[in-house]
Amino acid sequence: MLTLEKVDSFYGRSHILHGLDLAVPGGEITAIVGRNGTGKTTLLKTIMGLTDRIGGRIVLDGRELSAEPTHKRARAGIAYVPQGRQIIPDFTIRENIVMGGFATTGRGRPRSGGIPPLVPKLFPYLMQNLDRPGGVLSGGQQQQLAIARALAAEPSVLLLDEPTEGIQPNIVEEIQNIVVRLNAEEGLTIVLVEQNVAFARSAGHHFAMLEKGRAVASGPIATLTDELIHRHIAV
Amino acid sequence: MIDTIFIGLSLGSVLLLVALGLAITYGAMGVINMAHGEMVMIGAYTAVLTSLYLGFGLIAAMPVAFLVTALLGLAIEKLVVRRLYGRLLDTLLATWGVAILIQQAVRLSFGLAFFGITVAGLGPGLQNVSLPEWLGGTFSLAGSQISVYRSFIILVSVALAALTWGLMYRTSFGMQLRAIMRNPQMAAACGIDTARINALAFAYGSGLAGVAGVLMAGFKTVFPDMGTPMVVDGFLVVVMGGVGSLIGSILSSAILGQINGLTAAVSNDIIARAIVFAVVIAVIIWRPKGLFSYKGR
Repeated sequence: MLTLEKVDSFYGRSHILHGLDLAVPGGEITAIVGRNGTGKTTLLKTIMGLTDRIGGRIVLDGRELSAEPTHKRARAGIAYVPQGRQIIPDFTIRENIVMGGFATTGRGRPRSGGIPPLVPKLFPYLMQNLDRPGGVLSGGQQQQLAIARALAAEPSVLLLDEPTEGIQPNIVEEIQNIVVRLNAEEGLTIVLVEQNVAFARSAGHHFAMLEKGRAVASGPIATLTDELIHRHIAV
Repeated sequence: MIDTIFIGLSLGSVLLLVALGLAITYGAMGVINMAHGEMVMIGAYTAVLTSLYLGFGLIAAMPVAFLVTALLGLAIEKLVVRRLYGRLLDTLLATWGVAILIQQAVRLSFGLAFFGITVAGLGPGLQNVSLPEWLGGTFSLAGSQISVYRSFIILVSVALAALTWGLMYRTSFGMQLRAIMRNPQMAAACGIDTARINALAFAYGSGLAGVAGVLMAGFKTVFPDMGTPMVVDGFLVVVMGGVGSLIGSILSSAILGQINGLTAAVSNDIIARAIVFAVVIAVIIWRPKGLFSYKGR
């Protein structure tokens, strides 16, 4: 269970999130929806500790994270798949994946330091190309790589920022299936920022609707009605 | 001719040791460390003092100088640089201040000069380190007389450059450091303790500069201001080689050392310096990001 209580978040002097409350139940998918520029990406960055300043509380399974630096949040079990993937182009695919594993330090057992067992199952293409640089991959493959990197952290919570944005159509469905499988088969808690309402509805168990940095509606996905979407998303 | 090339190579080698530290700290942290030259100076003084008081030779002084300057670098990082990340101009000013502080500390024998106490080996004067017998002479190669000490400098630098390469590309520490150089936010989000890795990298770079100082003490006089031109030279190497590129630093220090050595042999040191500057300016006009710049996708 990940909870945010009255969270404010800032970049420099810009106040982006305003007193935001959010409950992310463990083992389920929570979809974050809303128009562009309403703070969805900032919400994920805030959970990860990547904005300049925050107020309020962020608690993961009873552990207060609000004052912790980013790497401690990652080590606490939150993994982040950012918008634009942020693969390191001149690292090999193997290095890009192994990089995620640094989040397993200090968990009372040795770091495996290798490729997580899920990766060959989900992303056979990456396994066949481990020694090629990450930069040569297509957008969809980079997205897979970013997910593989996050899995190397052996996380309990996965933050996904528009995983299908800017990806060739034939891979979109594949990525969507992987998101659903990671939740259903591996029990990962997922916070999914998604513009695609159809996918948010089919995959999510819960939702939160953001507008101008505030949560204007939230609850079980069944309560994400057409009327709500019409009011807050459709132009 | 070969002896001139060896002089150029040895100059380039010392330059490389200084530049490696700068390349790492500037690449990973975006910090221009003006106190880096003072690490060279402290390294040289470590050679002077350990030989004066402990009877250490030049080789025994190297690990001591590495430790002393690495710890000093660590202290500077923790006390000053860490608080100024992301503020390039402020770090430039602050580390310059630290540089002046360290210079004056040596010049005033850590304040003892105020009490009329003079410490042999410190103070404003010039110091010298004598070379051990077996490093002193020359040997002949293809009809030229080559200085043994110059070859020794080259060997030590090559070994340390190889060690640095291994550290960067074959260890977990190096991988974390390279990740920070490329994308500090994502590195932190992957659980890398960026503050700790940065501090260690800063200490390591300072230690390399300290070793360079010991090597310099063997062929130059040692005095409190000797580090100042080294920072400038180090940055010339980093800028010409491309920020964050180990190969770039190695190649450009070799080129600049060679230009310096060759020109000095046919004319003098002043002209050599002018030509080095001219070459660096030409290179950054031709390739603003240096010879080996990192290309993002």
